[in-house]
Parts: sequence; C-alpha cells; structure tokens
Amino acid sequence: MAANPMTQFNVYRIGPEVKVGAFDISFTNASLFMIISSVAILLIFSLGSKKNSLLPNKIQLLAELSYTFVSKMISDTAGSKAKPYFAFIFSLFMFVLFCNMFGMIPYTFTVTSHIIVTFVLAAFIFIGVTVIGFMKHGFGYLKLFVPSGVPAVLLPLIVVIEIISYLSRPVSLSVRLFANMMAGHTMMKVFGGFVISLGIVGGWLPLSFSVALTGLEILVAFLQAYVFAILTCIYLNDALNLHH
Amino acid sequence: MPKDQFKTRLEIAKKRISKKNQENKNDNPSSIGAAFKLSTELVAAVAVGTIIGFIFDKTFGTTPWFILIFFFVGVVAGITNVIRSAKNMQK
Repeated sequence: MAANPMTQFNVYRIGPEVKVGAFDISFTNASLFMIISSVAILLIFSLGSKKNSLLPNKIQLLAELSYTFVSKMISDTAGSKAKPYFAFIFSLFMFVLFCNMFGMIPYTFTVTSHIIVTFVLAAFIFIGVTVIGFMKHGFGYLKLFVPSGVPAVLLPLIVVIEIISYLSRPVSLSVRLFANMMAGHTMMKVFGGFVISLGIVGGWLPLSFSVALTGLEILVAFLQAYVFAILTCIYLNDALNLHH
Repeated sequence: MPKDQFKTRLEIAKKRISKKNQENKNDNPSSIGAAFKLSTELVAAVAVGTIIGFIFDKTFGTTPWFILIFFFVGVVAGITNVIRSAKNMQK
C-alpha cells in the first residue's frame, strides 16, 4: 500500500541498467510513458488522416479539431508569420497534453510532474526562440532589452531588469507546468489516503472531494498544455515581430 | 428536397454557433490561462535574479552583495513581467 503521496513520482528502471560514461540512460517508467504518449499521438493522427471523408468519423474529427484549435491559437497570438513553426508548436502541445492526460489514468506515471522534463522542453523553446530572433533581426534583436523612451541614467538598470525578465521565461514556463501537475496529483493522492483511513463511516466526504478533484485535474491538464503552447506562441511573436 | 433541408439545417447550426460564441466570450480558455500565467511570472524572475547574484558572488567572492542587489532587481523584473502580461490581457 503506497501511503506516501509522493511515491507516485518515483522514477524507477525498467529492464537492464545502461550506462554511457557517468550518465545513466537506462529505460525508466518516465521514458515508457513518454513513448506511450508519442505512440498514441502518432496513432490518432495516422488513423485520423488515413481517409479524408467529408463527413469525418470520430478519430478524424479529433485530429481535425486539434489541428484547427492549434492553428487558430497560433494565428491569433503570433500572426501569419508564425505559420512555418506550426509543426513544432502542434507537436509540443500534443505531447504535453497527452503526457498530462495519460497521467490522469490511475497507476500511470505523469511525465510532466518532473521539473527536469518540463525544464528541458522550456529550455529548448527558449534557445530556439532566441536563435530565431537573432536570425530574423540580427543584432537588432538586442533592442528587445532596450525599451524606447527611457532616460539614459536609468538605462543600465532597465537593461539588467529586462535581461532578468527575459531569462525568467523558461523558468516560469517550466515551473508552472511542473508545479500544477505535481500539486494536483499529490492532492488527489492525499484525499485518496483520507478515504482509506476514514473508512466506510467518514470516507464519503473525501471521496466526493476526490471525484471533484479528478474533474478539476482533467481541466488543469488540458489548460496547462494550452498555456504552455500559447506562451510559446507569445515568445515566438516577440521574436518575429519586434516591437516595444 | 434533401438539398434545401441541408441548407436550412446549416443555417440553424450557424446561428447556434454564433450565439454560443457570444455567450462564451468571457470564459474561453485563454483568460483562465492568463490567470495561471501571472502567479509564476513573479516568482520566476525573483528566482532567476537571485541565482544570477549567487553565481556572481561565487565567481567574484563578494558574498552577500551581488545576491542582495540581484534579489531586488529580480523583484523589480518580476513586477514588470506581471504588469506587462496584465497589459497584454487587456488588449
């Protein structure tokens, strides 16, 4: 019986131990669930785009709905210039969404509840957006750190503040997703523990809380994937259309 | 006439969608997303500022000073972040 609410986040090895130099790259439950969500995405979209009928069946509807959803999100926030990056943002959104949603099934592992996973995603977005910004604007991209209409005396301070605010983007992006997923899953486990310890007499109240929390967590799982993708769009917009 | 029938059905469906869109304007997911965004924005800038100060202190051996300065600069950066995203929301 796993009484500790944090044991659900344990990463353990599946299969043999593989080491490259000092790094342990063995196959873990985290890698298993990343693969499961990637395969599920691939399956849905290959099935959904197999026969393009005018009246879509359920899987095709799902694929088309998510396509239009992400496409609309990109054009609303980042404009038409961001269209070439659709594939990246779409796969990012789907991956985070599926990882979050697979975590909602009991006895599964939530990949996005580990800060290293979300931070790597956010760091790649950050580096990518910075590279795109420099490619599009050259050194003019550095103007992002120098807002117009600031007195020269305050400029050094403002530039430092702007740089910190720029560097805080990947941190806030990754911490938001990780903290929401971890807090939600811990809370669900704690309420589940209350049900067991209060037994048949008093366990009904935490049980009803648990049911409500599950609904909330499904909302949060979707919402955090959405926020993750939309913030990527916003950062991309900053890099593509430089304005201050 | 199946074609006419389809047209009227399409009209009705279109009307329903536009009505629904007007109703849901205020609780679309992006406003909830924006609310989630604000909270971490502040904390992240403070954390990044403090980490930068810590690194500077480690390399230059000026232990309390850079961490103190950059902590407050981080707070300012966090507040500007929050104000900026709040302004974006109002657009």
